[in-house]
Amino acid sequence: MGKRIASYTTLTPTATADTTNLVDSTYPVAFQGGNATQRWNIVEVYLGGQAGASTPSIMLLSFDSQVGTGSLTADAALTDVVNDGSAGLLATVVKVFNKAATNKPQRDVARHLANLSFNAFGGVVRLNWPLDQQFVAVGNAASFGEMSLSAFTGGTTGLQGTHVIYEPF
Amino acid sequence: MVDHRGSPGISDDFIHKASQILPADTCLPLGMNAGRSLFEAPTVSCSHCQAMVIINPLRNRERGYCSGCDRYICDNCTEIRSLNGGQCKTFRQLADEIVEAALKAESIKEI
Repeated sequence: MGKRIASYTTLTPTATADTTNLVDSTYPVAFQGGNATQRWNIVEVYLGGQAGASTPSIMLLSFDSQVGTGSLTADAALTDVVNDGSAGLLATVVKVFNKAATNKPQRDVARHLANLSFNAFGGVVRLNWPLDQQFVAVGNAASFGEMSLSAFTGGTTGLQGTHVIYEPF
Repeated sequence: MVDHRGSPGISDDFIHKASQILPADTCLPLGMNAGRSLFEAPTVSCSHCQAMVIINPLRNRERGYCSGCDRYICDNCTEIRSLNGGQCKTFRQLADEIVEAALKAESIKEI
């Protein structure tokens, strides 16, 4: 129903273990379905390193075993815009956020989708998939109704910009 | 695509360390300088769990495949499939079940 682009201008994420609260504004972006039956596909993930020194980072796109609850909001630097202005807009929108008022998102230990290890000192990662290979999320409950892009422990996180292209249905 | 042409990149040691924690077939391949230069490779999404699998050009072992859905699957799901007698359940089937369960729950509320 029209692709959308979630983009975070510049952020140094905080490395966080699985099944641990992702603290507000320490991860680039998370997505949650607008209702219990909404689906969306991840079309592309891009990370561009902006750090001024070598910082090998482990960034993960993953399903969450605990979904964010309460008011789900985004930093000013996290934008979510439609890819094509003439595309039809859905009545139910996917929630794009990196702050959760009540329960914080927690990355699922068994449902990592993509490992985006790179050096944020000038490194670039870009992943995209054909239609039949795109990640699908469904609903708004654990463990398949929320995805997050966040830093995993074991590396040294550095300043980076990111965008994720997704298509809600 | 991982581009470290303008960067010190990541060492094989770092990739190896990551592959001890995360599924190895989702990490950059070892032994081909993948973390130090421009690395481009096809990927497949596991049909059962959706994990992204990097097609390692140096892999000698048989790649996980499910004859039930005629798709590649990741190493973890290959192991699970061999333990449960070759049963196939794709993520798309699982997604359909989630939607059906949600719709049933909604219709019960209406009654």
